[in-house]
Amino acid sequence: MLETLQREFGDALQAAEEVGRELRLETAASRLVELARFCKDKRFNYPADVTAVDTGTELRVVYRLISLETGQHIVISVSLPRSGGRLPTLCGVYRGAEWPEREVYDLFGVRFDGHPDLRRILLTDDWQGHPLLK
Amino acid sequence: MPLGNEMARSLTPTEHVTLNMGPQHPSTHGVLRLKLEMEGEVIVGCEPVIGYLHRGMEKIGESRTYPQFLPYTDRLDYLSSASNNVAYVQAVEKLLGLEVPDRAKYLRVVLLELNRIASHLVFVATFANDLAATTVFLYAIREREMIMDLFEMWAGARLTQSWVRIGGVAKDLPGGFAERAREFCRLLPKRLDEYDRLLTGNRIFRVRTEGVGILAPEMGVDYGCSGPTLRGSGVAFDVRRAEPYEVYERLDFEMVTHPTCDCMGRYRVRMEEMRQSVRIIEQCLAELPKGEVLAKVGRTVRPPAGEAYGRVESPRGEFGCFVVSDGGPQPIRVRLRAPSFFHLGVLPQMLQGWKIGDVVAILGSIDIVLGEVDR
Repeated sequence: MLETLQREFGDALQAAEEVGRELRLETAASRLVELARFCKDKRFNYPADVTAVDTGTELRVVYRLISLETGQHIVISVSLPRSGGRLPTLCGVYRGAEWPEREVYDLFGVRFDGHPDLRRILLTDDWQGHPLLK
Repeated sequence: MPLGNEMARSLTPTEHVTLNMGPQHPSTHGVLRLKLEMEGEVIVGCEPVIGYLHRGMEKIGESRTYPQFLPYTDRLDYLSSASNNVAYVQAVEKLLGLEVPDRAKYLRVVLLELNRIASHLVFVATFANDLAATTVFLYAIREREMIMDLFEMWAGARLTQSWVRIGGVAKDLPGGFAERAREFCRLLPKRLDEYDRLLTGNRIFRVRTEGVGILAPEMGVDYGCSGPTLRGSGVAFDVRRAEPYEVYERLDFEMVTHPTCDCMGRYRVRMEEMRQSVRIIEQCLAELPKGEVLAKVGRTVRPPAGEAYGRVESPRGEFGCFVVSDGGPQPIRVRLRAPSFFHLGVLPQMLQGWKIGDVVAILGSIDIVLGEVDR
């Protein structure tokens, strides 16, 4: 799978390594949807998680896609500025991305372009700020 | 809900009525609000409103040391606290590269499976109760009480045991525990037969669950569903098999699936899973190796910088824990991936076109716990 991805996406993968069951990839926002769709076509059909990590210097949105056939994980990271970050939504690829993307928006302030219903989900609508930012 | 029906009837058929179910409603099993869009009695839209129980668990994780955060995880899926514990310590142990003693792994499985039975018993109890079979509620809670007593004997606590530690479990089994656990394992299958006679074949119960609340397998996977909710749609996915942890690869048990995709299918999966859990516990107690139950872990836990994902098959599905370390004594990120969160995401699709009375059955059949949804 790693070779296939490298052949297909080449320079768009800023980093790619295999750690145990996980294929850890880094890509840019512009190629995210394409990469996710490619993974889904390769039977990585289970969207296990969408979340983000604020390291203090940058914000990383992390997608975990799992193949129910092989048990392999693909972990895609996209780096964003810590405020005002925007990403295309993956709702068109995985419908299960809708709620966790709302959560990432709610807690980290990342805006997902094309999301059908981008509102706060855990916090109240009048909450100020995004609490999981450092 | 007679009021809703009457209101719906008095309006023109084209006009929709919004009906609030919850946040305080006995059959939402916690603080959940469903905004239902009704056309007469039929549901044409549903928006689950969550967050009422949000305690900022993931944020708390960033300001506690690794061992300190462990008891917090009990309060996520509080019907099966050991699953949360194990997912969390798994991630930390992966970061540390720590090997857990064999005996501790077996004891963790005993704890996990007892939790699974206890949780499924609550499911059977509340599901039956929601569908007006109160007797079954009392029976199932009676059996669950025996497990609670076992937990009390072992850990001192009945619900939030926190018995798992980074590197193993806190203490070995107390004397007499294995005998009592075996006795429970002998008794439970007989009691499950009793529930089957009382409930599974019951005409009313069948009418209210068979063919109701269809979740197509592809849709379930696409929405990130897991656990009995997905296996009730015939998808053979169980983390215990897909990515065996502790000692599951050495144990003989069946992954239960049911092809009907309806409320009955999900109920049947959980009923059969309890029997499989009994088999697992019996095997663990029989094969339990001698030795330590806790690996040597320093006073301060400082995993090297990196990230790890721990995942377990909780009674509700895949419970995941994603921990990121920068080498300090506290994690910089603890992400808690709760199965119920994803199951609530697909609920509006499952309710589409069903009547108001079916909401209780369909919601009950995905067996959510709001503690892990809201975190």
